[in-house]
Amino acid sequence: MKRILIVDDSFYMRTLLKNMLSDAGYEVVGEAPNGQTALELAKETKPDLITLDVILPDNTGLDVLKGIKAEQPDMKVIIVSAVGQEVIVNEAMEYGAKSYIVKPFSEEKVLEVVSKVLAED
Amino acid sequence: MKSREQEYKEIFIAEALEYFDALNRHISTLEKQPDDEQTLAEIFRLLHNMKANSKAIGYLQISDVSHKLETAFSLIRNKELAFSDEVVTVLFDGIDLLGELITNIDSNQEAEPDPVLLRNLDIIVENLSDSAIELAKVQKYNTSKNLSLSDLVYIQIKKLDHLMNLVGELMIDRDRILSISKDMGNEELKTVSSHLYRITEDLQYSVMDARLVNIGSLFNKFPRIVRDIAAAEKKEVDLALIGQNIQIDRNILQIMTDSLLHLVRNAVTHGLETPAEREKKGKPRIGQLTLSAKSDRENVLIELADDGKGMDFKLIKRTAVERHLVTADAAEALTETEVLSFLFEPGFSTAKEVTEFSGRGVGLDVVKNAIDSIGGRLMVKSEKGKGTTFTMQLPTSIAVKGALLFEVDEIFYAIPLIHTEQVIALDKDELHEVGDVMIADLKGEAITVVYLHELLNTDEAEMRLGDKNRLKGQVQNIVVVSYNNRKLGLIVDKLYRQQDIVVKPMSKPLDRIDLYGGVTLLGTGKVCLVLDVPATTRYFMNKRQAQEHA
Repeated sequence: MKRILIVDDSFYMRTLLKNMLSDAGYEVVGEAPNGQTALELAKETKPDLITLDVILPDNTGLDVLKGIKAEQPDMKVIIVSAVGQEVIVNEAMEYGAKSYIVKPFSEEKVLEVVSKVLAED
Repeated sequence: MKSREQEYKEIFIAEALEYFDALNRHISTLEKQPDDEQTLAEIFRLLHNMKANSKAIGYLQISDVSHKLETAFSLIRNKELAFSDEVVTVLFDGIDLLGELITNIDSNQEAEPDPVLLRNLDIIVENLSDSAIELAKVQKYNTSKNLSLSDLVYIQIKKLDHLMNLVGELMIDRDRILSISKDMGNEELKTVSSHLYRITEDLQYSVMDARLVNIGSLFNKFPRIVRDIAAAEKKEVDLALIGQNIQIDRNILQIMTDSLLHLVRNAVTHGLETPAEREKKGKPRIGQLTLSAKSDRENVLIELADDGKGMDFKLIKRTAVERHLVTADAAEALTETEVLSFLFEPGFSTAKEVTEFSGRGVGLDVVKNAIDSIGGRLMVKSEKGKGTTFTMQLPTSIAVKGALLFEVDEIFYAIPLIHTEQVIALDKDELHEVGDVMIADLKGEAITVVYLHELLNTDEAEMRLGDKNRLKGQVQNIVVVSYNNRKLGLIVDKLYRQQDIVVKPMSKPLDRIDLYGGVTLLGTGKVCLVLDVPATTRYFMNKRQAQEHA
């Protein structure tokens, strides 16, 4: 079972994502509401994939992405952003994010992106 | 799946209200320190989440207003908009509007946002240069606005417990007054006391209602738990949830949480087979687990069903014989229901291995005791090869119970209705002395009956549970109670009515007499003992054994 870490400061968003992913048979190994916890959980749980919100209370998603990549260069990260944050998304892709999902997202879209990224080598 | 939507809605509202409070706090800070970057970033983040969440759940007005506010704050952040008094007022109004929209989600009120306010927000967002005059002009519309507070309050369960206790006291006094007024024959007092009766009843149900929570709040934790156990046990399990919208007293749900967890763990580790075993038996690879809830007026029924291997009746019998709970001969004659009831004996376990999730030793008796303690019932059905179903019958309230009142040796007793199967009057000649007990034939079912007076009030040396001569009169009133799949008929002297009673714990040192679950006061002012059916059944079994050995 593929293991996923969810990073989002909104409990509602985390619940949505967690349910969508769990229902599809993924194991959600952790939920981080901020950048600090995200970095710690990434190190601790070593997931197969991380979904990363770009706006976090203590850190920007971009900084978190850099932090994760510095420790685990092969970690697969999917950026979760809202409309109007294309600039940040582009920058994140340059720093090694695999793909992105735009809020509000549909279950199909989330699962499509996640399974595609997980299938990559 | 409707209830998951309900859960999303509740989470959305709770989080949105939190954001709303934080926004108010931060915007006040900003008023004093308009250049505080950190506060601006935080406001921006909160509005951003509010926008994304409300869009996701489909509250478009909220997402629209959040979007406008977010844009306004990003303009302020980029120094494209001054944080002037006029602007501050519009932003405050905008945040208030958000609060209103959020609180209105649950009240079904059609909240039409003030068009003037929306226009003001547009003016700010579109950054019209000479807007200050226009803003000032329309501000008047909003000065008469009322202070609005949330329609929802969070309340500590402790406070509700206290309230419930007070209602209990009130019910006792109410019954007393009603009884006195009948005795006195004063018409005016009768009218007032019957009014008091109705009001207290309303109050009782209102307080009980305030303590109810959705059973989904517990059920929804199980998909994750089941997945984890199944993964560890290398099983494949599909969990279906039914009836998450059923409501139950919060404390009852709390008490049975561990029990349900225990049963679910057992079902996955011991009940369901591995995918390979299932395929060999011609079953679908994936084991089916169903957790459902339903309710009637008095009770909530929670059922956990698996389509696993079912209980091994032979193994249970063998274990029961090994543990001297029954002789080998008697074991052969037992019905399946009787065999299953051994599962609830203290420490009874047939598990051969200790696993991470379902260790040996902590048996079903722990579950049974927890459910007994709140006056509920646990039942089990099982079919070899087909699966096992546990049913928990739980009362809707701990403090107030429907009960049957009766009298034995001029003392009043009550038995909670949850444990009573039926009430029947039988002629003494229809009772048969078999061994050391009396047996009654109820529609083809042989039921052990016992004279409560003999059981409760006679010294052990004198006790003759199987002696019909101890009975008074010809017609015997029998209350058939049921515990752990065993039925027992209790012969009482006089039967009274059914009534809602408020069970109060016994005070020391009487609380050590465990035959009684507590006491209640009747309208006449008389004390009434509440009989604990599980304890009474066990007491009877012990006395019966003592007699056999004598």
